[in-house]
Amino acid sequence: MYVVGIDTSSVWIIVPAFNEAQVIGDVVADLRAVFAHVVCVNDGSRDDTAEVALRAGAHVVSHPVNLGQGAAIQTGVEYARRQPGAAVFATFDADGQHRVKDVVSMMERLSRGDVDIVIGTRFAGSAISHTPPLKRLILRAAAWLSPSSRRLGLTDAHNGLRVFDKTIADHLNLTMSGMSHASEFVTLIDENRWRVAEEPVEILYTEYSLSKGQPLLNGVNIVFDGFLRGRMRR
Amino acid sequence: MNWIQVLLIVAVVTLLVYLLRSRTNARAKAWVKVGYVLFVLAAVYAILRPDDTTVVANWLGVDRGTDLLFYALVIAFVFTTMSTYLRFKELELRYARLARTIALEGARTPES
Repeated sequence: MYVVGIDTSSVWIIVPAFNEAQVIGDVVADLRAVFAHVVCVNDGSRDDTAEVALRAGAHVVSHPVNLGQGAAIQTGVEYARRQPGAAVFATFDADGQHRVKDVVSMMERLSRGDVDIVIGTRFAGSAISHTPPLKRLILRAAAWLSPSSRRLGLTDAHNGLRVFDKTIADHLNLTMSGMSHASEFVTLIDENRWRVAEEPVEILYTEYSLSKGQPLLNGVNIVFDGFLRGRMRR
Repeated sequence: MNWIQVLLIVAVVTLLVYLLRSRTNARAKAWVKVGYVLFVLAAVYAILRPDDTTVVANWLGVDRGTDLLFYALVIAFVFTTMSTYLRFKELELRYARLARTIALEGARTPES
């Protein structure tokens, strides 16, 4: 099957999930309606996220313990990049806040061939999501506080939607296990001089996704981790 | 000699023996041991002649030896905290990689 000129059998969607049994089935089914390969990384969930995802048709990789979303994305990418024929990769949050059609338009953008990665943004173009004001302020501040993000002209530092090619998948090495991986991802793009573009996407703030979202105060940890990153051996 | 001096000297010397007997990870720990021996020598001297720390403190523009030791303690504590934090982060990363290997080996594929 082809979507926007891309053979969907070469596409792998990576869905990190922690205790998402309620919604993961629908999320995987929606993705599977368009894309052949979905890998759900079950990050040590205590509910039956893994079984629900598997039944919905996803490959399931289960962390024996909870490690955090960054570690889950890295695991998913490592699983997907070793699959034969895998060429295009996407990260997609498990809580149902993303739309499959946004992934398709991001793939269309990637297929133009002038960039290696396309990141979703809530804050560009006309597709303004109904982001709660305080969250919006903090996300904009986070994007602005990151030197890499500023240099690359990115407006949304913590969007879970990313579409990227094999080069990036092969070289990706996220070391921040928790929520700081989003800024780490941006730093990696900057350091490796990967070509990046943003694509406006809509975030569906359902009651469920808002309740699962990270507390705003976590922004402090993310900024702090960013400063310490340079001090760690990898 | 005061009792407190006896107790303090026994304490630092006991710690020294304990440290010298542990033999994990030779090279990095060797410097720690050398450093600790120097520390013990300085500590025993400072315990026996506490007023001399005030002399050193005065050289540095601090009034009392006690204050100087306190400042040194604060710096040492912050340093230890930071290095422990970084060490933990490093261990966390190794732990994540171990868990990832296990996860990838046990991957399940859908039937269809």
